[in-house]
Amino acid sequence: MADTTQMLKGILDGCLLAIIHEGEIYGYELAAKLESYGFQAFSEGTIYPLLLRMQRENLVTATLRKSTAGPKRKYYTLTEKGQQELDEFIQRWEQLSASVNNVLNQGGNRK
Amino acid sequence: MTLSKKSEQFLIELRMYLMSRGKNDQEINEITEELEDHLLQAEAAGKDTSHIIGKSPKDYMKSIGDSMKTDFRQMAGLIPMTILLLAAYFSFGPAIEGNFLLSSIILWIAIGGGVIGMIAYGILLFKVIPKFFHSKWGYVITIMTSFLVTGLGVVLLLWSKGQEAEAVFVASPLENNLIVAVCILIFIGSAVYSKSWISIVIPIFLAIGPLAERFLPQEINENPVYMAWASVGVLTISGLASYFLWKRYKSQ
Repeated sequence: MADTTQMLKGILDGCLLAIIHEGEIYGYELAAKLESYGFQAFSEGTIYPLLLRMQRENLVTATLRKSTAGPKRKYYTLTEKGQQELDEFIQRWEQLSASVNNVLNQGGNRK
Repeated sequence: MTLSKKSEQFLIELRMYLMSRGKNDQEINEITEELEDHLLQAEAAGKDTSHIIGKSPKDYMKSIGDSMKTDFRQMAGLIPMTILLLAAYFSFGPAIEGNFLLSSIILWIAIGGGVIGMIAYGILLFKVIPKFFHSKWGYVITIMTSFLVTGLGVVLLLWSKGQEAEAVFVASPLENNLIVAVCILIFIGSAVYSKSWISIVIPIFLAIGPLAERFLPQEINENPVYMAWASVGVLTISGLASYFLWKRYKSQ
C-alpha cells in the first residue's frame, strides 16, 4: 500500500498554488502553512523542487528580498498562468474527490 | 542563528552536486540561500535536518537538480577553465625557475596529464572534498593530494629534463615572469569559480621547490645542512598549520 507521500504527488502542486494565491509568501512560511493545514507527513524541502518547476513553467514569480535573520528570502507570487492552473486544479480536485467519495460511500455509509 | 554542521555539510554537497551537473551559478546561489534560510528557521524551531531534506540527502539533491535546467553555455566555459588550470599547473614550476620551454615530450605529457588530471581533479573537487568538508579527513586529503601532485609534477619534470627532445619554444626571462603572472590569475579565477581554496593551496606547494631553485644560491640549495634545516622548517610549519586548523575545527 502506497504511503501518504505517494498520494500527495500531484496534489501538492495545487495546494502550493492555493497558498501562494492567499498572498506573497516565502519557502519556510509556505511549508509552515502546509503543516498548519494538516500536511504533517512530508519533508518540508519537498516544496522546493516543485517551486523551481513552477517558476520554470511561469506559474509563479519570485523576488529576492533581504532578511534580518540571515540570507536573502525568495518571495513567491502567482502569475496569471498560475491562477488559471489553480482554477483548473480546483475543478479537477472537486471532480476527483466527489468520485472517490462515491466509491468509498457506495451502498450506504461506511466508517 | 547558526546552522548545524550537518546542514552546512548538506548545503556544500548540494552546491557541488549542482555545479557538477552543469546548473546555472545564479540559480545554485538562489536555491542554496533559500534552503539555508529554511534550515536556519527549522533548526531554531527545534526540527532536525532530515525533517526538511528527507531521509536520503542524495535523493533530495537529485530531485532539486532535476527541477533545474542545465546551463550548457556555462558548461562550455567550465571545460576551457579546466584546461587552462591544468596548463597552469604544468607551466607554473618551470616558469618560476625561469626555464619554461615547450618540447614535443612536454606537449605529450601535457595532453596525457591533462586528460588524467581533468578526471582526477573533477572527482576530487566535486565528489571527495564536499563529503569530508567538515571533518579532519578533508584537511588530510587536501594536504596529501597537494604532496602527491607536487611529487608527481617533480618526477615528470625531472624525467622530461633527462629526455632529449627538440624545444619548440624557449621563454625569455620576461616571458617566464609573464607566464607566472598568468598562472596566478588562472589559479585565482579557478578558486573564485569553484568557491574552493584547493586551486590556491596546490600551487603554493608546487611553488616551494621552483622558488628555492630560482632564488637560493646553488651551494646553499645543495648543502645538506641547509636541506636538513629546510625540512625541519617545512615540517614545523606544516605541524603548526595542522594544529591551528585542528583547533579551528574543534572550536566550530
